Amino acid sequence: MKRLAAYVLLTVLVLTGCGGPVDPDTAQESIQVIAMDTAMLITTYGERSPAAAYACEDAIRDLEAKLSRTDPDSEVSRLNAAGGEAVEVGEDLGVLLDAAGYYHATTDGAFNIAIAPLASAWGFAEDRFRVPSQEEISDLLKLVNGFALQETPEGVALGPGQAIDLGAIAKGYAADKIVEIFQEYEVPRGLAQLGGNVLAYGDRPDGTPWRVGVQDPARVEEQNAFAGVLELTDSFAVTSGGYQRYFEQDGKTYHHILDPATGYPADSGLSSVTVVADCGEDAGLSGMMCDALSTALFVMGEERALDFRRNWRGLPFQLVLITEDGRVVVTQGLADRFTLEEASGYQYETVS
Amino acid sequence: MRPSPKLRPTAWDGLVVLCVAALAVGLAVFQWRGGTSRGLTAVVSVDGEEIDRVFLEDAAGEKIYRAGAYTLTVEYAAGSARVCSSDCPTQDCVHTGAVSRGGQSVVCLPGRFILRLEGGEPDPEGVDAVLG
Repeated sequence: MKRLAAYVLLTVLVLTGCGGPVDPDTAQESIQVIAMDTAMLITTYGERSPAAAYACEDAIRDLEAKLSRTDPDSEVSRLNAAGGEAVEVGEDLGVLLDAAGYYHATTDGAFNIAIAPLASAWGFAEDRFRVPSQEEISDLLKLVNGFALQETPEGVALGPGQAIDLGAIAKGYAADKIVEIFQEYEVPRGLAQLGGNVLAYGDRPDGTPWRVGVQDPARVEEQNAFAGVLELTDSFAVTSGGYQRYFEQDGKTYHHILDPATGYPADSGLSSVTVVADCGEDAGLSGMMCDALSTALFVMGEERALDFRRNWRGLPFQLVLITEDGRVVVTQGLADRFTLEEASGYQYETVS
Repeated sequence: MRPSPKLRPTAWDGLVVLCVAALAVGLAVFQWRGGTSRGLTAVVSVDGEEIDRVFLEDAAGEKIYRAGAYTLTVEYAAGSARVCSSDCPTQDCVHTGAVSRGGQSVVCLPGRFILRLEGGEPDPEGVDAVLG
């Protein structure tokens, strides 16, 4: 009887598993976070996936606490409220301000974090939409385009009345941080959706690339209405489009991507811009680059955006441009990774 | 000191062992076959906290949720869910329409409300993420 009991107990131990290695091909943790004014979904795989996913959430919350324009205690709010006095900034904000200055200069002003007072005048920051008067816009443009960050031994300072908003670059920076966390926790594969930013890390559990749909701007109220599908491995992809946030007044639609040259919603002939770049150890802060450039190239329009890419000397990137006249323009480096959704009715073009 | 009585297993001990073994086999089979049901389920959370879970296979009717300062009404049907009304300022949740596949979600940012579908049959032609 004792021997029988021993066999039975051994069977119990084997059958109940007692743990064992986790299959990295099985989804382990998926968390959803509302932060940075958007809904984020992070899915991690592998043995340490729960810890990795929660480390990502912590990093996002930490960045939001520093960079929010609506939290009065954030570093950005303190900088905006300082009335021209110098404010000490931490490492993350310092990196973002340097990068924002770089993209402002390289895009000839199309990317501008000092757009904040203008965005507030249109009500996009507080969801209280209105069309400002031309006089108001002209006055605010002086602040926007006179922007220059002053660096002093005490910190950095804005000009009087000026304010910054990092909404067009901060989620990309968060995606770069997530890559660091995935590497630290040895996550073999993962997927992070941060609003219009997607990080496709590694490949899918079946070994094929992640399939990422590009929203059809003409059918935003339909689920799974795509202009096409990208197949991505170890990549960042960021989309900016006028359809993402807008309001209507007197029969006219006003979207949230403001042109720093005019003060009005960018009217560049583009419906959306998707920027794709590699992620990984040699990719630097390419999530931040994709985020900043998706906004800037939307403002520039098709011709200037493609010229900009051809002359770009930074980290390489590819583009999917959807035009208001019904075309999907894909740069050559993405041609074998993009499949047009035939039902969308778009005309497909590839360019160098 | 009195010596301990010699303990000998009885038939009752054997029965207990067999019951435990049967339970373990049952649990193992359950786990190997997928652990829990993979049926399509709507998981509702507000401000990061799960507040409801609705199995969609035979769902029908409406439920009302309080999300921050806002009230949302969700209509459940067999295999789908949608926010049919909300008093939030953006109305993005209402405009999202019905969701019917695992991984899809409806979000109300002002109310910090998320309805996310889990489980269901995988769609090999579906997408893993959406840009936009």
